[in-house]
Amino acid sequence: MEADQSQRTQRAFYAGCYLACLFLILAAPIAAYAADDDAGETGPSFDARKVIVDHVLDSYDWHLFDIGDREFSLHLPVILFYEGKLYLFSSKRFDHGYATHKGFRLAPDGPLKGRAMRVLDDGVTPDPDASFIYDLSITKNVVAVFASSIILCLLFVSVGRQYKEADIYATPSGLPLFFEPIIIFVRDQIAILAIGPEKYKVFMPYLLTAFFFIFLNNLLGLLPIIPGGANVTGNISVTFVLAMFTFFTTHWYANRAYWKHMFNMPGVPMFLKFPIPILPLIEVVGAFIKPFTLMIRLFANMTAGHMVILSLTSLIFVLGSVSILMGYAISPITVIFLIFLNFLKILVSFLQAYIFTLFSAFFFGMAVPKADH
Amino acid sequence: MELLMPGLGLIFWMTVSFGLVLYILKKFAWKPILNVINQREKQLAKSFSDAKRIDYEMSQLAVVKTSKLAEAEQIREEIIAKAHADAERIIEEAREKAREEARIIGERADELIAAYKKEAMQEIKAQLSALSLDLAEKVLREEFSDRERNARYVDKLLEKVTHN
Repeated sequence: MEADQSQRTQRAFYAGCYLACLFLILAAPIAAYAADDDAGETGPSFDARKVIVDHVLDSYDWHLFDIGDREFSLHLPVILFYEGKLYLFSSKRFDHGYATHKGFRLAPDGPLKGRAMRVLDDGVTPDPDASFIYDLSITKNVVAVFASSIILCLLFVSVGRQYKEADIYATPSGLPLFFEPIIIFVRDQIAILAIGPEKYKVFMPYLLTAFFFIFLNNLLGLLPIIPGGANVTGNISVTFVLAMFTFFTTHWYANRAYWKHMFNMPGVPMFLKFPIPILPLIEVVGAFIKPFTLMIRLFANMTAGHMVILSLTSLIFVLGSVSILMGYAISPITVIFLIFLNFLKILVSFLQAYIFTLFSAFFFGMAVPKADH
Repeated sequence: MELLMPGLGLIFWMTVSFGLVLYILKKFAWKPILNVINQREKQLAKSFSDAKRIDYEMSQLAVVKTSKLAEAEQIREEIIAKAHADAERIIEEAREKAREEARIIGERADELIAAYKKEAMQEIKAQLSALSLDLAEKVLREEFSDRERNARYVDKLLEKVTHN
């Protein structure tokens, strides 16, 4: 009887979905046609690509919210070194890319979209002879990195304080109770698993810091309000720095066997190493590719997740700009998907932190092989 | 494309802050936390092995205890049995001794009685002979006056004495 009921509701749900899709497919051309007629009068239509990319990119100010037409943003300091001179001013001067200040303007497009560029005296044309701008601005992502760094330090220093050498049998409670299993997970399932029980200890601080840094920033990236909402771990610069930390840690602690393995791999014929060092070349390239994959994987996963969520959100406005009714029609479906996706992103947040840390640990493990390997 | 362009500022600030976070957490968080966790695990492992060892030793002790108890029981029984045997032997000996003593005492009494009897007989005999002599004197004195009657009388007396 009960199975019957659930089957019936399931069938009704599928039928509903099917009808909704059918309605959308049939209605779309008509609505689009109708919208084309109005386009001239209702102003610019919704540009989903711009919205998505602008949300995913770093920026000089932190957009908080809009009330009506008024926009509320946190204007962050712009710090530029250009031809030996320091330029320090509020990003408000850029007026979201509509204004030029001291010869700088936000690039409207191109690979450096949204960043400060040198313009000619007319205030619009990019300066073709401009030299490199050392841009050390406190951008949105920098603030988010600072915020998460402060959160991490406060959190874990306070956790660390609760561990007293004198009383090792004290049952963890509160924050330690929450974090201890995760710390033990990182130790047992990442460090010991990938590096081995003899040599894992020296890598633990980096692995734990990287894990919690990525995990926290992934989660903060899901929050729509400050200090969340910045796409920190989906920014190539951040993942680059993390990957470089892994790279340098790997090669700082690498032992003789690792270097021997790289430049004079034992057990392979000599012609692969001399006179043309094919194998050493491959090994050296591999040493750089490993952190490169770390950088790309984390960046791509987090950015893609943000993009999917933003795309689904934009769908409402895209269809809404076509016809307000369609906007309303798509909203419930989109919201259901968004809720699902947000849960998925929580999982992905953990997963990507885990994967980055695990792969870093594997690289460390390769750097400290046993001598007779 | 714009997504793939690294920014110098972010790289710089990220390196600085991540490096700082790494340093601070290493010193003030991970070190004490991992220290305590490792020590606790070591202590727990030690406690477990200790408990196991003690448990084993206790079981060994129990075995020893039962065997000792059995031994003690046996010894006790032996002692009791020996005591019983000793007691019986002592009683038997005492009885034997008493019997012997009684026999000796009886013998001595018999001897004494016999001695006393003999002595008494001798005394009686001596007294009898003295008395007899006394009587005989008296009779003789009396009777010597009447010879004939005396003679008869002596005969009569002698006859009486020999009858006794």
